[in-house]
Amino acid sequence: MSRKPKQPGISRRGLIGAAGAGAVLAVSPFRINLARAQEAPIRIGFPVPLTGPYGTEAQDQVNCAQLAIAEFNAGGGLNGRKAELVVRDDKLNPGEGATRALELIENEKVNFIVGSLSASVQLAVNNVTKERGIIYNSISQSDAINEAADFSKFTFHEAMTPHLTAGAVGRYVFPKFGKKVAFLTADYAYGHEMVRGFKKAGEAFGIEPLEDIRHPLATTDFSTLLPRIQAMKPDVLIISNFGRDQQIALKQATDFGLKKSIQIVAPILLYTGRQAAGAQAFQGVIGGTSYYWGVGDQVASAKALNEAFGKLYANKYPSDYGAMGYAGVRTLLEASKAAGSVETDKVIAAMEALKYDYYKGPQYYRKCDHQSVQSVFIIQSKAQGQRNPSDVFEVISTEAPNEANLRTCDELGHKA
Amino acid sequence: MNQASQATLARARDANLDWRELATRYRVLLVSAFLLAFPLVMPFTALAINILIYGLYALGFNLLFGYLGLLSFGHAALLGAGAYFCGIAIVHFGMPWFAAIAIGVLGGVITAAAIGALATRTRGIYFAMVTLALSQCVYYLFYQAVDWTGGENGLRGINVREIGIFGISFDFINPMTRYYVVAGFVILALIVLSRILASPFGAVIEAVRENEERARASGYNVTLVRLITFILSGAFCGLAGALYALQLSTVPIEIMHYETSGLAVMMCLLGGMGTFFGPFVGAAVFLMLENLVSLWTVHWQLIVGAVFMICVLFFPRGIWGTLTMRGKS
Repeated sequence: MSRKPKQPGISRRGLIGAAGAGAVLAVSPFRINLARAQEAPIRIGFPVPLTGPYGTEAQDQVNCAQLAIAEFNAGGGLNGRKAELVVRDDKLNPGEGATRALELIENEKVNFIVGSLSASVQLAVNNVTKERGIIYNSISQSDAINEAADFSKFTFHEAMTPHLTAGAVGRYVFPKFGKKVAFLTADYAYGHEMVRGFKKAGEAFGIEPLEDIRHPLATTDFSTLLPRIQAMKPDVLIISNFGRDQQIALKQATDFGLKKSIQIVAPILLYTGRQAAGAQAFQGVIGGTSYYWGVGDQVASAKALNEAFGKLYANKYPSDYGAMGYAGVRTLLEASKAAGSVETDKVIAAMEALKYDYYKGPQYYRKCDHQSVQSVFIIQSKAQGQRNPSDVFEVISTEAPNEANLRTCDELGHKA
Repeated sequence: MNQASQATLARARDANLDWRELATRYRVLLVSAFLLAFPLVMPFTALAINILIYGLYALGFNLLFGYLGLLSFGHAALLGAGAYFCGIAIVHFGMPWFAAIAIGVLGGVITAAAIGALATRTRGIYFAMVTLALSQCVYYLFYQAVDWTGGENGLRGINVREIGIFGISFDFINPMTRYYVVAGFVILALIVLSRILASPFGAVIEAVRENEERARASGYNVTLVRLITFILSGAFCGLAGALYALQLSTVPIEIMHYETSGLAVMMCLLGGMGTFFGPFVGAAVFLMLENLVSLWTVHWQLIVGAVFMICVLFFPRGIWGTLTMRGKS
């Protein structure tokens, strides 16, 4: 019997092969390339630590950044050109952050990068972007990123610096609560930079720094350190740590009764941290923040952000670090609009010329180090029984934006 | 015997071997060919380069773990020392890139010699613990030397824009150039490793793994063999570290964290311990999973962990080990 002649058209094997190839194409990154060929939106890379201890804050940063993108697109974009956010997980690891920055630049061909939630990750990302001439707007605290060694004309810093934050809190606290100051500090760059900031600010008030007690990251038991602090009889105790460390330290300090005679101060009081730990541990603690939704009572742009965010995300409020994600993305988009293009040099010039008020009052980028000059809010944690679960802090003071509160360009090593 | 008949004999010999043995004989050639085409199938180039670097790191680890049978939990120190030495050579001394890579290899060797001299006296679980403890010492040494290493913030500014090879200048910012430079070094390392394993010394390494007493009775200095293997392993890891520093242009302190040591164990087990190509397969599978799954969900660790458990339960020889052993027994 002779074999059947080969049928023209689609064979079963061919069909399976084609389907397989289609499936591969569908899940592969090439698909993105095909889609991109039709129109070219402005692409903003957004590496943040979605996994890890700061996942909550990172997710909030993404939500706020998406809000900025949505507003830009609703407003017609850049002459009709829309923007889109390319989110990546940096896993709070500088190596992963640098890898993701390379991916965003080389394969995703992003126009700008905004993001990060740790000093070391932002420095790693910044090193990658500045070598490749891509504008990077950092939205987490670091002193080093402004210094001449790390800075480049492509580097912008929307977040506050530890020097500014600690200084603002110190300037509020020292005249009111006394000169004898003890420190409890997480033993890494963030803690060290904060203490340096407090001591510098304290010089003007003639404070008497007592011992600086250091503890390793992720400490769960402060009970051996707290009696030492009590014995020093300070007026003020400054606790410079972050996240879970902060929650545990404050809880145990409360249990030890330190709050009776000592005013406890933290350079940054985290909105998400206070919500996780509850009112008792944080009650009465004074600290600084870049943003708290309650600022909306005084600042119109903050009120607008709260409302827009609440509309998009089921009546929640943007957190401190989240709001910076909003501003970090929006400044770049507005600068592109002002420049009429996304060309790097034109956008840099537009960023430097920007005088903006997007969420917390007037701000601008200082020319020498591209640090955002901004106000700092001093907040105090409220007692239990507030009108709603988000009502946790009271804004007790606002330090207006002032370049004099930053380290000078000379200090940072920038040639005039 | 003339050359022609020699070639005929070789062909006849090859014809008698099955494909696995053939593949083993030409393993460097096969791997090299694969590496040249590799970036084309990867989602992004930086991932392909990372797989090469971590593959090389796992390969250095595998020399000790798979071939000598010593489980080290301190290899992050060797990788990190390579990266920091290379980075410091460029940032603080302005050395050219190839000299910096040599310094990086040297860094791996020195650290391995120091750790190995103390650790190779012990064995089993004690060896794992001693290497872990010593690597933590190295971690804090580099962490505290802020002026040299940048401490917590990491070492930045390892910026190599152009590299000259035989008088021709290449743009090192270009991802494909970077890939092929790294691939060149990896292939070089593979040739060296292949030679080591095929040498009499390579046979001694495996003899020690199979039966330490018998190797000693045969007149081999087992402690010395261990030390030398540890140092060789350090050289491979140092090279991987140096390439890491050049690729990312920063060295984060996290590279020396004990998690990085665990990564080598995981990649090796996943790919197949004691196999030539297994570490690369392990590195590729692990990093691909991590990168692709983390695009979909923040719970990527759950999925990667499940895959790892399935591999350990059902492929005890690892992915590559199972593939090459299939039907052999």
